[in-house]
Amino acid sequence: MSQSTTYVPEPALVKGNHTFGSITALIADISEKPAPTWWYIAFGAANLLLGLLLVLIGYLVYEGTGIWGITNPVGWGWAIINFVWWVGIGHAGTLISAILFLFRQGWRTAINRFAEAMTIFAVICALVFPGIHIGRIWVAYWMFPIPNSMQMWPNFNSPLLWDVFAVSTYFTVSLLFWFVGLVPDFATLRDRVKSKLAAKIYGVLALGWTGGNRQWQNYEKSYMILAGLATPLVLSVHTIVSFDFAVSIIPGWHTTIFPPYFVAGAIFSGFAMVMTLMLIARKLYGLKDIMTDDHVEKMNLIILVTGNMVGFAYIMEFFIAWYSGVTYEKAAFINRAMGPYAWAYWTMFLCNVISPQFFWSKKMRRNIKVSFILSIVVNIGMWFERFVITVTSLAQDFLPSSWGYYSPTWVDIGTYIGTFGLFFTFFLLFLRFMPMVAIAEIKMVMPQADPHHYDEKHG
Amino acid sequence: MSTTETKTYWRSLNELAKNEEYQRFVDREFPEGASEFNDGYSRRNFLQIMGASIALAGLAACRKPVQKILPLTRQPEYTVEGKPVLYASAMPFLGSLTGIVVETNSGRPTKIEGNELHPGSLGGTHIHQQAAILDLYDPDRARGITQGGEARTADDFAVFAGQYFTADKRVAVLSASDSSITLNRLKADFKRKFARATWVTYDAFGEENALLGTQMAFGRKLRAVPELAEARVIVSLDDDFMSSGADSVRRVKAYSAGRRVMATTDTMNRLYVVESNYSLTGTNAEHRIRVKTSEIPLFTFALAAELGVAGFAGYSNSWSGHAELKTLAADLAAHRGASVVTVGDEQPAAVHAAAAGINAVLGNAGRTVRYVELPHAEAGDQHAAFTQLKADLSAGGYDALVILGANPAHTAPGFAEVLGKVPTVVHLSTHEDETTKALPAGGWHVPMAHFLESWGDGTSFTGVRSVVQPMIQPLFGGWSAIEVLGTIVGGAKATGYDLVRATWTGGDWRRILHDGFLEGTAFASASTSFSGGAVRTTADAYVPVAGLELSVRRSPHLLDGSVANNGWLQELPDAITKITWDNVLLVSPTTARALFGLEYPRSQTVRPPDSEEPVARITVGEESLNLPIWVVAGHADDALTVYAGYGRTHSGRIGNGTGVDTYPLRNGLAVSATVRLTEHTYPVASTQDHHSMEGRPLIREATLATYAVNPRFAADMVKVPGPKVDGAPISLFNEQVFPAGEPQWGMTIDLTSCIGCGVCTIACQAENNIPVVGKKEVKRGREMHWIRVDRYFSGDLNGSPQVVHQPIPCMNCELAPCEQVCPVAATTHSDDGLNQMTYNRCIGTRYCANNCPFKVRRFNFFNYPKLWLEEVNTPEVVQMAMNPDVSVRFRGVMEKCTYCVQRISRAKIEAKRTTDSKKPADGAVKTACQQACPSDAIYFGDISQSDSRITQVKTNDRNYLLLEELNIRPRTSYLAKLRNPNEATA
Repeated sequence: MSQSTTYVPEPALVKGNHTFGSITALIADISEKPAPTWWYIAFGAANLLLGLLLVLIGYLVYEGTGIWGITNPVGWGWAIINFVWWVGIGHAGTLISAILFLFRQGWRTAINRFAEAMTIFAVICALVFPGIHIGRIWVAYWMFPIPNSMQMWPNFNSPLLWDVFAVSTYFTVSLLFWFVGLVPDFATLRDRVKSKLAAKIYGVLALGWTGGNRQWQNYEKSYMILAGLATPLVLSVHTIVSFDFAVSIIPGWHTTIFPPYFVAGAIFSGFAMVMTLMLIARKLYGLKDIMTDDHVEKMNLIILVTGNMVGFAYIMEFFIAWYSGVTYEKAAFINRAMGPYAWAYWTMFLCNVISPQFFWSKKMRRNIKVSFILSIVVNIGMWFERFVITVTSLAQDFLPSSWGYYSPTWVDIGTYIGTFGLFFTFFLLFLRFMPMVAIAEIKMVMPQADPHHYDEKHG
Repeated sequence: MSTTETKTYWRSLNELAKNEEYQRFVDREFPEGASEFNDGYSRRNFLQIMGASIALAGLAACRKPVQKILPLTRQPEYTVEGKPVLYASAMPFLGSLTGIVVETNSGRPTKIEGNELHPGSLGGTHIHQQAAILDLYDPDRARGITQGGEARTADDFAVFAGQYFTADKRVAVLSASDSSITLNRLKADFKRKFARATWVTYDAFGEENALLGTQMAFGRKLRAVPELAEARVIVSLDDDFMSSGADSVRRVKAYSAGRRVMATTDTMNRLYVVESNYSLTGTNAEHRIRVKTSEIPLFTFALAAELGVAGFAGYSNSWSGHAELKTLAADLAAHRGASVVTVGDEQPAAVHAAAAGINAVLGNAGRTVRYVELPHAEAGDQHAAFTQLKADLSAGGYDALVILGANPAHTAPGFAEVLGKVPTVVHLSTHEDETTKALPAGGWHVPMAHFLESWGDGTSFTGVRSVVQPMIQPLFGGWSAIEVLGTIVGGAKATGYDLVRATWTGGDWRRILHDGFLEGTAFASASTSFSGGAVRTTADAYVPVAGLELSVRRSPHLLDGSVANNGWLQELPDAITKITWDNVLLVSPTTARALFGLEYPRSQTVRPPDSEEPVARITVGEESLNLPIWVVAGHADDALTVYAGYGRTHSGRIGNGTGVDTYPLRNGLAVSATVRLTEHTYPVASTQDHHSMEGRPLIREATLATYAVNPRFAADMVKVPGPKVDGAPISLFNEQVFPAGEPQWGMTIDLTSCIGCGVCTIACQAENNIPVVGKKEVKRGREMHWIRVDRYFSGDLNGSPQVVHQPIPCMNCELAPCEQVCPVAATTHSDDGLNQMTYNRCIGTRYCANNCPFKVRRFNFFNYPKLWLEEVNTPEVVQMAMNPDVSVRFRGVMEKCTYCVQRISRAKIEAKRTTDSKKPADGAVKTACQQACPSDAIYFGDISQSDSRITQVKTNDRNYLLLEELNIRPRTSYLAKLRNPNEATA
């Protein structure tokens, strides 16, 4: 039998000829050994920013939303932009863990834990905003369908209500999914830690995991089911967030392209955020053998693809605005590109459409510095995308008499920066006390897990 | 001090609580019986007991006026709590009196409406009438009499007046022009008593020039009263008669009646306006001729010569033979006896005289313009008299000066120094103003009573006599002008009621109070014969300002500055510039380019909240000041306009420091000025930045001729796409079902009638307790007005563009986009077709405002009512101005127009009670904006009744819906705008 094809071996997902034991040590040691100095500095800084956020929220509750830059006609400003931006970032985690799991993409195991954690924290940051951006914060619970003596239900026609359900469901399922994945690793930590208290806490979290055959069977099944549940949510949550805009009648919002465009944008920004955090973490914790350059390249490919999808949507919006023949729609888009917010539009275009084009080159895809810088550029671009959609459409709609211009106040800016404090406080705690890579799962994709190496010659 | 202060106003419930029975009632928590579980006491008893308690409390504690005042309603003996009582009265304004109806709630006046019976009002109002209610409750008003800054009692002043004002004293009186018959009577007594006395009528912007003009033309001071209803061609020479003035409501009523088009066969009058600055009247003109203010006399003289006015034979100047002037003259000549030429009060006397000549030669006198005798006009040139008085006062020619209602230290620069040289000054004014501060040591200041809290009388512009009856005891111990003068003349404290009764000896007193005026009264018409000699001499000698001119004009909102402390007026956007809270340097695009290198339109479509305008330094003679530059299309070139009345230093917390005092630059109507651009900038808060309609079919306009050919031009401008059921496009959402028994409310605004004055905005603000938010918030775009007037320019911005106005209230869409997106159902539809706002349910997501295509929803970003009502030392005073039928909204809540739902509910309850139908009779409900409108541009009513006025209007061929193609089905529609231009100029 002549060999007509040559087998191209998959590059190993874990480099450095690790053993199971050394992998466990590599990851679990981070939680067990004293934290490095930089961690304390970063945690302190994050806490300061978190404090800023809490102070500004207190100020907001005391004074009212007037301290922000919102106005007539721009009723939604940075709060909603930040909400959509953080929710968008929160997409990558579940996409990586659920969809890539179902597609049997083994490389996901190196980053899924990490990305899921990021998702949870990003969604927490996002959830801050719908609660505080309303005028009367103390009655925010009226958005939930709670039975009450007034027999007053929320308005099920409102996309904001759909948002409440979509985001809270997404948050719940993501949290469960993350936790289920963590159970075997909690057990590993429980067995390794020296402190009795830590062992107790990890023990509780490990839910009595012993690593038995039956447990593994149940675990894998439940993980699969949760992955199946989470998959449609990845698509639904940002679809519904996009409905906040698409269901309205404002030119520039009233667009059917929004759901796929928002989902693509969310994956785009989520992957960029994972990239940013991953490149920092693998440098600081020396995890290059697990989060390899191959991972970086694969993620950059996804950024390239979703970036182009977003770019296509930008251009398609203009085409439809022209093709529809609607005066107001046309004016809205001409205004975006040439009006008072043109600077924001072209910042967005440059960051989201032009910058990912570097990744057509393999050299660039594998260049860590380029990847790091572009991952940040993409998230700046995605923030501006939400700014452009939210603000430019509202600032100049149907009647030119009510046109206005929105600019943020220092409180808007401070609140946004403050959410990074919230995010990094959680994230640094996660890095410190939880296994940041799925120890159990990564072992399954190591070369050592496959003694036959799937080499045809070995039959 | 503080206890007397709190006692000067009455009727807080705290005060009622002083009554023992009420106190016991409160202490009990439940009334007698209610806590005893006694079956004999029902809920009705509870109400009876409470009502009785309050009534008794009222008898014991309230300080109602002791004199009889009679309401317009038929049952004065009952006062039903919660039900407003209407009283007819009259408002003194710029030297005349106009009939009004005052709504009082529990003894507090809360709203002013026009008096439909009064010939000077006919039910309409202007912005200052609507805003006057806020002046009453201005907490910054002067409280109590002072002498040299020390508090004095009323008796102290009476004693002083009796002892000091002996017949040998040399007394000068400086009075704002006042039509009061009683004041006129006392003036005669005054002149009899003091042999060496002088009386000077002083207004910063008065009608003195007009009177001197008729003196020049006819030999004696007469008042020209235009009858615009009869005129087919109206020519305004710098006469902004639509901005609120002594006679504006009557003129606007007549003007709009003369151009009301309901069918293609109807005709319209034609308005020509010759002016420099773009005025409200100018925006309504068919043809507006831009002429520098100082050249308007030349234009008038040339027009007089063109029309062959006596004395103008052989006269010519640079405007003679001008194309626009010739067309205008031809149009006038074609409408002899049916045209009228009016002149702005501030133009020189010769212009008024020349216009009188034009009206005479056209045969208009006696038809479209009447000349009437003015009994209260002071003889002689009052400008000269004022200058003489200043000189005499400086030279020590007088023992005492009495200032009645004027503020010369602000409006006449240099007067403050003169005041210091007068031994004794008595100053009557509402506030402790600039003049009060300039009083010499020992000078008396008497707080002036508001017209809603004092007795008075007077005549309307045309001479209709009215009595002013008080609605409430003076809040701050104020005196009226007649009381001060009566005390000085009589030597003992005089009460307004006695003084007025002494004047009104004949006639049915009760009837006069009830109707608000004495029927059949008017100024006597004068027979006139024009002589052109004096005019011609003046015309030959007249030289306009060469080069750049500056004109200091009366502010359309703040007037001469006397109402600068009124937040409603400060925050009402200017009709043309839409600027609030400031005065600016108005300049045409061409001149701005030449002088400052500023481009217009600006590259920015809208101004960011932190934007600032360039500032110019203006120099006239020795005086210089800085003002922000504002380019206004349509202003005459080579000319600058600034408004006076701003930059007050002692007006109160609202007026102090807003804008710049421009009186120092004022030296006649127009003066030569130099300007230069400074490096400074200054923030200016304008509510509408964008000038253009961007080609969108928002205001649909055509000429009368086009309309006659194509009556449905407006509706045909937009085609609604998509499949339709019963002629209406289909909707994704379930359509509202409107029950048959309910009325269905709808509104229509006739853009042909609307003049853009903004009275609807203030009427709405007064009716609906809308807070004032201040310049900073307006700059951020957070003004709260529920109905705004949009303004767009069209035509050549560097030439003579036209301006259109469009009032925008909530459209109460049947398929309201705001309702669909509210997550908590705080905004919903009522069975009678209102888009309701449930404040209690609103959580403030602002999604509804975002989704409103008209952007009529207003959000309480801060706790505006609290900031507004409570940041003064006596919040109860401002709170008294609130309408008790409308809740005051809390922070974080959305609000908007609901077609005055409180008025609708009141009428529905009344209809249900009397006819057992929920549908009130046609015309029973009037929205506040509709009622206030002087041009009757707003129609409102029940569209479910086929014979109602609103249904007929909505079937008019000019009817169209704004943004109809969105399928939101607005209940508010518009009648397209028509103009009637002269074909000869087209």
